[in-house]
Amino acid sequence: MNDLSQTRLWLMRASFLLLTLVILFFHLLPLETTPRRWAGPDILLCFALAWSMRRPEYVPSPVLAASFLLADLLLQRPPGLWAMLALIGCENFKSRSRSLRDANFAAEWVTAGLIVVAITFANRIIMGLALVDQPSLALSLSELAMTLLFYPAVVAITHFAMGVRKAAAGELDALGNRV
Amino acid sequence: MANDRTNSSDYTGPLRRLLLAVLILLLGATFLLWRIDSPRVERFRAQITDRLVPNLDWAMAPVTGTINLLRDFQSYQRLAEQNQELRSELRQMQAWKEAALQLEQENARLLDLNKVRLDPRLTFITGVVLADSGSPFRQSVLLNVGSRDGLIDGWATMDGIGLVGRISGVAENTARVILLTDASSRIPAVIQPSGQRAIVAGDNSAAPPIDFLENPDLVRPGDRVISSGDGGVFPAGLLIGQVAADPGGRLRVRLAADYERLEFLRVLRHYGTENVTDTARIITPEGPLAEAQEVVNE
Repeated sequence: MNDLSQTRLWLMRASFLLLTLVILFFHLLPLETTPRRWAGPDILLCFALAWSMRRPEYVPSPVLAASFLLADLLLQRPPGLWAMLALIGCENFKSRSRSLRDANFAAEWVTAGLIVVAITFANRIIMGLALVDQPSLALSLSELAMTLLFYPAVVAITHFAMGVRKAAAGELDALGNRV
Repeated sequence: MANDRTNSSDYTGPLRRLLLAVLILLLGATFLLWRIDSPRVERFRAQITDRLVPNLDWAMAPVTGTINLLRDFQSYQRLAEQNQELRSELRQMQAWKEAALQLEQENARLLDLNKVRLDPRLTFITGVVLADSGSPFRQSVLLNVGSRDGLIDGWATMDGIGLVGRISGVAENTARVILLTDASSRIPAVIQPSGQRAIVAGDNSAAPPIDFLENPDLVRPGDRVISSGDGGVFPAGLLIGQVAADPGGRLRVRLAADYERLEFLRVLRHYGTENVTDTARIITPEGPLAEAQEVVNE
């Protein structure tokens, strides 16, 4: 029993890294070479938040940091900054997961939304302080709005397709602790 | 059991927090390091991309192909309409082709008369586009040629017709091309026929604006924009596009290269333009004097 849950734990951690690679793969496909007026959602951040909320033990901080840093490097962002903010956001969300577990989805959506807004604006403020060239505000805001809109869809995929669900009260987590 | 559990969480809690703090510090330090010593971190980024992206190529090619096929399929619905358009365009093209042929012959005759020697060093390497920048905030593509093929930072990249961008970041097997539309792209250009010099400055839109124009009155929409080679890092005389005015009256460049489908790109070899360095000399019956200074002394 213990062995099985250990295997599952490491399997799910590996599958989060695999999911990161798949998302980046679709980002990198050479389909869009003309500039766009709007930006798509940050799917990786959506999944990271959804998993942190449901099963914090599947996405320990090193896994999250590695995923975000790889995304920063491959997607031509200033390396480290977005990763750092997203990691802080996810850890913050994890710490709230216990109180949000019994609340309905709307509360979770609002909390996740606040975290994403905070990450986006902190990113812009720090980039401004460091005098880095910034993308236009309209693009950042459209990415923010799309991320907020797509969050419920990502949660649905996480819940139904990937089977990463909130632990019911009294259930044991993968480490054998009572959650 | 209960005792056990509290012990373990007492032990792992602080440890986990310490690990988190270390990770956050590391990521913050990476950002600071990038801000202070950008070239080194960018080289590291290029190496990571070089390791990862060519390995994904076997999967990327079919997926890209399928998606493009589906997109084309959508356009089949407008087939009849497109046929009409194409026919009328073809008629215009035939007239142009005739004009081009005559001009080509005339050009060949004139070149022959002039004994013009075209720069033999301006040869090119063709590369395939492996990946795009992956985010709507940056405009760049990744080519499958790199330092292995002798590429150097700053070389010009064209599709069949016009300038596409500039090599920026070379790894062993891959190289990144910053497109003219990227917000960090600045290319010195000259506008013909008026000969005005300007900078084509990308701003993340499909038609980059023209900056630092001396006399905008001399420039009309439809004028040709070509690279000027000022600064010596970029070859001169490459077609960039045509001038167009946006509704706000700002002059922009409608790019000649087809940015919709960047598939094969040419990288032009360019080893810098030579400067004339020596001063004028005085010619005597015995040949030119070594130093102009000597004459003054005598």
